[in-house]
This record gives sequence, structure tokens and C-alpha cells, in this order.
Amino acid sequence: MAASAPPPEKTEENPILWVARPMWTAARQFAKSLVRPSTIIYPFERLEDPKFRDEVQVASGKPIGVGHVWDNYRGVHALNIATCISCNLCAFSCPDVCIEMVTVPGGDPKHPKKCPQIDYGKCSYCGFCSDACPEGCLSMTTRYELSSPKRADLVYSPQKMYEVFQRKLPMSPIRLERPANEDAILLDAPLCIGCNACARDCPTNCITMLDIPKAVAKPGEKLPRRIWKEPVVNDSDCVRCGTCISVCPKECLFWGTHP
Amino acid sequence: MVTTLYDVAYFLSSSLLDALGTHLPGILGTALTNSGLIWLLAAVIFGAILLGASMINTIMLIWFERKMLGRFMDRRGAMHVGFAGLLQNFADGLKLFRKNTFKPREADALGYYSGPTAYMVTSLLIFGILPISSGWSDGSLPLTLLLALVIFSFAPLFIFVSAWSSNNKYSLLGGMRSAAQMIAYEVPILIAVVAVVVVAGSFDLTTIVNEQQNYWFWGPLFLALVVFVTGMLAEMERIPFDLPEAEAELVEGWNTEYGGMLFAFFMLADYLRALVGSILVVLLFLGGWTLPSYLPAGLTSFPLAGILWFMIKTYLVFGLFVWIRASLPRVRTDQLLRVGWMRMIPLSLLSIVLAVVLVAVRCLPVFGCLPPVGGT
Ligand code: SF4
Ligand code: SF4
Ligand code: SF4
Repeated sequence: MAASAPPPEKTEENPILWVARPMWTAARQFAKSLVRPSTIIYPFERLEDPKFRDEVQVASGKPIGVGHVWDNYRGVHALNIATCISCNLCAFSCPDVCIEMVTVPGGDPKHPKKCPQIDYGKCSYCGFCSDACPEGCLSMTTRYELSSPKRADLVYSPQKMYEVFQRKLPMSPIRLERPANEDAILLDAPLCIGCNACARDCPTNCITMLDIPKAVAKPGEKLPRRIWKEPVVNDSDCVRCGTCISVCPKECLFWGTHP
Repeated sequence: MVTTLYDVAYFLSSSLLDALGTHLPGILGTALTNSGLIWLLAAVIFGAILLGASMINTIMLIWFERKMLGRFMDRRGAMHVGFAGLLQNFADGLKLFRKNTFKPREADALGYYSGPTAYMVTSLLIFGILPISSGWSDGSLPLTLLLALVIFSFAPLFIFVSAWSSNNKYSLLGGMRSAAQMIAYEVPILIAVVAVVVVAGSFDLTTIVNEQQNYWFWGPLFLALVVFVTGMLAEMERIPFDLPEAEAELVEGWNTEYGGMLFAFFMLADYLRALVGSILVVLLFLGGWTLPSYLPAGLTSFPLAGILWFMIKTYLVFGLFVWIRASLPRVRTDQLLRVGWMRMIPLSLLSIVLAVVLVAVRCLPVFGCLPPVGGT
């Protein structure tokens, strides 16, 4: 077995040291962790405990939020059902399509109130939804424990996220101011038939159907049949959800800047 | 009164049969108590006690290693099943026990099944003949040490058989490495043991322990101790000599193809051999179940004190093995064999010379004097 020529040996230091030095190091480590190993017994102890907080702060040299979790940590969402206006913007902006708008009690039978339900099996914690939410009612908390033996448990209903909201955990910053030069909803008036669909479905009720001056028919001319009302959008209340555009049967609403 | 373990087993068996015999009618009762059944039952009880002791110790040894290794790695080791994870290994064993035992299609059934079994059985045999305290065996085996080492050296054969019959290249490589390594380190171990035998004047382990009443052999025979411990490390295939099952290269070495209870056999036998190795170190170099005479006699006079001290020493020696495992990296095959043949054997020969000198001098200023020849 040892027939092949052994590689030339470099003996710069005493081979005893090759054994002695690592054993000394290991013994020192052993003695140190005999008192308390660095391991934190996670489900029973956690880094948020005050007794570990100092250590973490020293180790990272940075200020920390609550526990070791940063204030703007993007964890489980908190949803304030009361202020949600069912605008669908969160579901629209989710890149993983993990938000489904489900009915929650509180709406009128004709227009049920819908709130987001999030499947954390798909969520990538990007935070787009909470950025998009115009009312600031969907926000991400520092809660990070949501492991579960069942996949179905990962789907958080609005009520469940409302419970998270009620715990008053630190939430990621909410951006409520709107961009200055945002597109507004414009109306292609000749196409509008005054059907009221947009005003009915607008979550912020910022559309009012206003009377428009009645066109006077010239003799011999046949006017198109019209209901003489058309939508007027209150731009400062509009959250730009696009619901009106999608419900309009004549496609007469569009994005644009006011002339 | 010195009772041996067999006496205990005999007492248990006879009282059991007596109690049974009184309840049975006439001739049947006498037949039960006066036949050779007592010896048969005594032997079974004896074996059961030994099996239980060895298994519990082996499993505790695994727990001990896991805990200690954890501390070396700045963590805690098993801690959830039972107090401080004491039952974790029993749980693991139960899991392995419940698993399906299967054989690779191309494997040779005879070798595949008999290899681990024989490995396990021979390892158990060694434990059976080692004296754990003064009352363990009655000294009727004058060549215990030799017998133990002979059985110890069966292992490469069984490992190689099971490796070869697994029909897997990793197994085969591991088996070949194992055989080469074990045979290379068998020689220095035996020579180092000769040094102890020269000083103690006997192959009987009880006598060797009794010879150490004035001083333990680890001091004057330090060289032999170093050779023996190194050799034992290689025999047990522990890091840094775990080439036969080098995970990085050979998957799991010679037991790659084994699963379920057969794997548990290998695992248990490995630790059983580690236990036996530690016990041998304690017996040969650390005074067995005795304590130095300058310590108060009360430490050794309570019942089962011998076993207690013996076990403490054994676990400390095993702790040394764990310490080495936690510290040193794995060596290369050529390094391993070169150290074995070119360093260990000369060192062990030197230790024999030292032992002869020691016997000639009989008294060392630091350690004191050996007992007179033949006396205990
Ligand atoms: S955080 Fe991102 S992925 Fe998760 S629900 Fe919100 S938008 Fe979707
Ligand atoms: S974006 Fe906000 S207000 Fe709109 S539906 Fe989602 S949670 Fe409700
Ligand atoms: S986009 Fe349309 S539906 Fe949405 S808030 Fe503005 S006006 Fe209302």
C-alpha cells in the first residue's frame, strides 16, 4: 500500500505542534462553551430576549430595532379591515399573484366588501402590496414566525391579518403621499352613455354623475339617445385604482393628464 | 466477600427456580430445582446482564460523545428527548429498528447479512470477558488480555466481508482501507501491550490491575500508552483515522449500502469497540477500578465503588478520544500507514525496552516501587 513514493515532507515546525495546537484550541473552546454555548435554543429562547439583545448589538455594532428584528423588517402583513376600501390595488401589484380578494362581512349585499387574503406559500415579502395600498391599511410587521405543518395554514385570511394588526407590532413605513404628476382618470365624453357603473364601483366614491347641458337638436337632426349625466372625478380623492376603467362598458375612461 | 457477576446470576437463577419449584407438585418441582436447568438459566441471566450493561453503556457513550462534541463546536448537542437528551439515542435506535432492512439486488446475501452480525457479536464478546471491577469475573481466564485483543482483531475480516459483499465500489474501497489500517495498527498495539505484560507479569487483566496498586502504569509506560491510544484510535476508525468511512470521499465507507437495523449494528459495534478500547486503556494504564492509595479509603469502600470509578475513568478516556476527534483533521492514507509502520512500531519496541528496564530497577523515585514478583 505504501509502495508509492511519499511526497517530500516539509518539516518547518515540530510535528508535535500539529497535534498539540489544535487540541489546545479545541480545549479552550470547550472550556468556554461549557459555561454557555453561543447557541440560542431558538424556540425557547430568542434573540429578542433582553439578555441576548446586548450581545447582538455589540456583535453587529449597529443599533437594532425591537429585538434583533429591524423596524422595517418585512414579515407577516397586518391588515386593518376597517380602513380597507377594497380597491384591489394590493392584489394588482403583487408580482407573485398571491393575493386574492375575499369577501368579509361589513359590506352591503349588492357590493360586498372585499379584503386581501395572502398565501404566504407564494409571497416573496417584496412589500409592493403595502406600498401600493392607498389607505395605509396593509403593512408589513416584524412577525417572522409562520411555519406550519400544513400548507393550508399559510393562507392568511383578512381576519387573521387583522389579528396581527391588533398586536400593534412595529410596521414597515407607510407611504401615503401621492406622486405629484400622477395620471388622472379622463373621460372621452362623446362615448359615455352615463351608465353609472364607474360611480357605483369606485371604492372611494370620488365619482359623481353630474348633469351636463342638454344638446339642442338642429331641425332635421337625430340626436343619439343619451342619459344626460356624465362622471366627474374628484382627483384629490381618487386613489388611481383603475376600477372605473375596468368596469366601464364603453371603454370611455382612460389614463391621462388634464389639458 | 467477593462475589462475581456469575455468582449474582447463579443466585438469581436458583432463587427463581426454587420459588417456582415450591409451587409445582412433587416430582416436577424437584426435577426443576435439581437439574442442570439452574446453570443454563444462570448463563442466560449472566449474558442478559452483560448484554444490557454493554448496550446501555454504548448508547450512553454515544450520548456522551454528542454532548461533548456539541460543546467543542459551541453548541449543545442532543437536548430534547428525555432529560438533557439522554433518551435521544434510544429514540434513534427505535427508529432504526423500525426501518425496513433491505439488500441491494447484486449484493451477496450471506456476506451482507453475516458481516454486521458477526462484527456486533465479536464486539459484544470482548465486553463479556473484560473485568469491570474486582468482583466481575473470578479470574478463571488467565489470558484475558490476549483473548480480548485476538477478538478485537477479528473486525477487519468481518468489515471486509460485508464491504465486499455489498457490491459497491465505495464499500469495497472503505473495506480495503479498513483492513490495511487495522492490520497496520494491530502490530504496535500488541507490542505496546507486551510492555504492560512485561511489567505486570501476567496476561490476566485482574492481575494487571492489582499490579498497579503502587502506581498506575501510565506514568512509567507513557510511551506504551501513547502508542496504545494512537493504535486504538486507528482500530476504532475514529477521526483522525477515519479513512475507511471518510464521508467526503467514500459516502459512508464500508457501510454505505447498509440501512436500518444492520446499520445500527455497525454503529453500535463501533461504539462498543470504542467502549472496549477505553476500558482497555483504563485496565492497562489507569489502574482499573482502584484509586491511588493516598486517597481516603472511604472513596472505594462503599458498594459498587469499583464499578463507579471504573466507569468514570472509562468515560474520561473516551472523552479524550472525543477531544481528539474534535481537534484533528483526517490524515491521508500514506501518512496513516507511514505513521503506523515507521513511527509506532519503533516506539512500541522502545517501550518494551523501557518496560524491561523498569522491571530490572523495580523502583522509580517518582512513582514508587512495583509489588514483589508473584504477589498481589
Ligand atoms: S409582499 Fe409582495 S408578494 Fe407578498 S403579497 Fe405583497 S405584493 Fe404579493
Ligand atoms: S390596497 Fe389597501 S385599501 Fe386597497 S384593497 Fe388592498 S388593503 Fe384594501
Ligand atoms: S381610479 Fe376610478 S374607481 Fe379608482 S378611485 Fe379613481 S375614480 Fe374611483
